[in-house]
Amino acid sequence: MSIEVTNVTKKYGDFYALDDVSVSLPTGQLTALLGPSGGGKSTLLRIIAGLDTADSGTVAIEGTNATRLPPQKRNVGFVFQHYAVFKHMTVAKNVAFGLEIRKTPKAEVRRRVDELLELVHLSQFADRLPSQLSGGQRQRMALARALAVEPTVLLLDEPFGALDAKVRKELREWLRRLHDEVHVTTVFVTHDQEEAMEVADEIVVINQGRVEQVGSPDELYDEPASDFVMGFLGEVTRLGPVRLRPHDVEVGVTPGRAGAIPGTITRLLRVGFEVRLQVELDRELGGGADPVSVVLSRSHARSLDLELGSKVWLTAAVGAVTVPAMVAV
Amino acid sequence: MATATLDAPEVTARPTPTRRAGPRTTLTAGSSLGLGVAVTWFSLLVLIPLTAIVVTSAERGWSGYVDTITNPQTMAAIRLTVGQSLLVTGINVVMGTLIAWVLVRDRFWGKAVLDVVIDIPFALPTIVAGLVLLGLYGQGSPLGLDWAYTERAVMLALAFVTLPFVVRTVQPVLGELDHDVEEAAASLGAKRLTIFRRIILPSLAPAIAAGAALSFARAIAEYGSLVLLSGNKPFSTEVVSVRVLSFIENGSTASAAAVASLMLAVALFVIVVLDIVQRRVSRRG
Repeated sequence: MSIEVTNVTKKYGDFYALDDVSVSLPTGQLTALLGPSGGGKSTLLRIIAGLDTADSGTVAIEGTNATRLPPQKRNVGFVFQHYAVFKHMTVAKNVAFGLEIRKTPKAEVRRRVDELLELVHLSQFADRLPSQLSGGQRQRMALARALAVEPTVLLLDEPFGALDAKVRKELREWLRRLHDEVHVTTVFVTHDQEEAMEVADEIVVINQGRVEQVGSPDELYDEPASDFVMGFLGEVTRLGPVRLRPHDVEVGVTPGRAGAIPGTITRLLRVGFEVRLQVELDRELGGGADPVSVVLSRSHARSLDLELGSKVWLTAAVGAVTVPAMVAV
Repeated sequence: MATATLDAPEVTARPTPTRRAGPRTTLTAGSSLGLGVAVTWFSLLVLIPLTAIVVTSAERGWSGYVDTITNPQTMAAIRLTVGQSLLVTGINVVMGTLIAWVLVRDRFWGKAVLDVVIDIPFALPTIVAGLVLLGLYGQGSPLGLDWAYTERAVMLALAFVTLPFVVRTVQPVLGELDHDVEEAAASLGAKRLTIFRRIILPSLAPAIAAGAALSFARAIAEYGSLVLLSGNKPFSTEVVSVRVLSFIENGSTASAAAVASLMLAVALFVIVVLDIVQRRVSRRG
């Protein structure tokens, strides 16, 4: 295990940012710390980097107890949401900073910087100042700077959070490919479940200072350990006694299937190839007064001839992921 | 290491700005009026009086000018003023930055009070400042430091009146610095001193230089706080402003203007040098 976090607690006044968190992050993998804002994921990342200290508990990096080590001695690369560029230095100087601190010979520094700028596609910008780069370019420069010192682990704190949607999507694919080539153990913090699912080998879901679940994207999606994880990883609706994903609700236009609950379509919205329905149930079952959300493909909706006001019978699809619905939250 | 590929290049960066790029002025009707008012006001207050001084100083011709300046008593006053001003500016650069640092970065009891008290040398009539300093560092000093009527008294008075300049120019800049940047440097292995020298100092350099220029300019022109404390002894503690006053009292306006014009040149020179140093430091890294 590359990073071993054991029983870490961090309090700000009365507020538990992290409450007895233990997590092992395997070597060479790309792990996402996923959770809502203020859930403690950034705090955990900063504690791993040594930028914050835990009130109790230990952090080990590659078998070395790092709990009391200052950030300078942990050999971690850290990438910040807002880039944290050294704005008075050129791109090349920024990347070279960590190497110069380590008294690396000049020729070696040049070689490494050239190599890294090539890696992040900024070779032609080597002599620019960071203020002359776009956000995405600045973040790639920050990544090259962090990688320059050959860190044991690379930590990214909401690395794409400040970028616009398109650049964000490009960069996350690029990060995945970069990781496949460089293979440095990488942990990144995100509150975007799509980003985590798309990029990470493993996801750690953190909420209210606790680890909710650890697993691969598929495991989390298919076998959510809690209501929270299920709700955070995708849309959830309630059908009778269970909660399930809107696309796992089967729609029939005739009664007859076992356990089918009748209802009326009160809203019908087409978004691209998807059709989203809101179905008002005819009778109350297990106390769910809210309408059921259903998502189905456009062709499927057309084949059923669904319209506003149509009478439908709903069941949970075979093999659907369901969790028992909790009584009114 | 092979390279990962980016499918679509994202937004291309802005081209490097060049001096020639863009139209020659950005003046519209409104801003022309603004510029006009600004230049007129500046001329009435500063440019015309300054020119008048230079003209007056030339009244007795070049030899008269040189005679005035090379007079041993005047030379001593100039040497003392410029030397002590440079010394005090140096002290302010270090102490002012330190005080600003403490006020911005540290939390302690009485911080708000200290923050207000810093400006007192600005608010106090300078002659009162001289009086206060004389009480503390003069004859019968409670601290046992009798510095009255010495060069040290000049230094002390100048340091007192120029204290706030560097503090007040550095403080807001230091407060705006991004903490992330220091953390990034730390995680790259930089020790605290290295972070200060290579990351923080370059960002502060313009502010420090501005504060230093103000302190130097104020110091070479100081009069009020010095008259009581320094004793105005010719060849020893007489500063330029006192010398200029005695020229005027003796009716020799041309001599006064000659000395004043020289001090102007000195101030201009020092400010330019400070700017060059500042540019060097803020680009280093």
